[in-house]
Amino acid sequence: MRILKIAFLNLFFYPFFIIFTLTAILNLGSLVILLALFLPKRKVYRFLRQAIRWYGAVVIRILPFPLIRIVNKNYLANDPPGPYLFVCNHRAASDPFLMAVFPYEAVQVVNIWPFRLPALGIVAKIAGYLSVREMPYAEFAEKTAKLIAQGVSIVTFPEGTRSRNKCVGQFHSAIFRTALQTHATIVPVCITGNEFVPPVGSAFLQPTTIRIHRLAALTWEEYKNFNAFKLKNYCRDIIAKEVSIMDKLK
Amino acid sequence: MTEQEVIKLTNEVFIDSFEIEKSKLVPEANIFIDLGLDSLDVVDLVVALQKKFAVTIRDDERVRTIRTLGDLQQFILTIKKEIGK
Repeated sequence: MRILKIAFLNLFFYPFFIIFTLTAILNLGSLVILLALFLPKRKVYRFLRQAIRWYGAVVIRILPFPLIRIVNKNYLANDPPGPYLFVCNHRAASDPFLMAVFPYEAVQVVNIWPFRLPALGIVAKIAGYLSVREMPYAEFAEKTAKLIAQGVSIVTFPEGTRSRNKCVGQFHSAIFRTALQTHATIVPVCITGNEFVPPVGSAFLQPTTIRIHRLAALTWEEYKNFNAFKLKNYCRDIIAKEVSIMDKLK
Repeated sequence: MTEQEVIKLTNEVFIDSFEIEKSKLVPEANIFIDLGLDSLDVVDLVVALQKKFAVTIRDDERVRTIRTLGDLQQFILTIKKEIGK
């Protein structure tokens, strides 16, 4: 039965994913070009990032439904003012799509390979996504600070690569150095169930429930006395603790 | 400076600058995998070591080959000996 479900999920998902992606890029791309003729650059960027969020929401919530479900929990009753630095654990290539659950204008920090994806890589570049390994830290810090000053949240996966087991890997410190410089609010995000969407080394999606828990924000007042090393490990410990609890949920 | 002094002072840098538990500071500990430093943290480490040992190691090519705490301690010891000559 499970094999049938996997076959059905993949036979249905991938063709619709390709068709929807091309349609979305064509239509939303045309709209962005049209808007760019009349609106200021900042507003066009805001629309483009919003459009990416709509696209991501369809890809993660509609196309694989009901075999892949998303459970999104926000543990923060009263959000401190944004923008935020979302710090997430990373298990699957689908993680960047899952960020569509957050209702904010955001830019993602990516590794080299997402920029090389056909079509999607070009859109990510145009939207100002940051390929952290292709620029020196000073440039990354400058670009990130500029985005935060514009009110744009930053999404990062500080492990830098997908974990191949259920452990949260060591964190890179770049985004935490930026946090210390910009005083931005850090929001730890825990994702589980995504390790099947798809598993590392496979392209086949598997039926699962993906849980996304957005934990209490860490404000500048709370971390201002930390150095970057302590801050990254502090965030990693918070995420690892929650992830180990989430992994036990059915 | 003796080997024991170098080990003691190097460990102090990791404890003071990175708040790493003393129990983790064993010679075979990989600086990146076991102690969790990344390339940017290594820049901070080099600055702290230079201050602690009054040496200049920033531009030394041998730094790039260091992987474990033991490698680092031996490297500092070598540098101190070279300066002492």
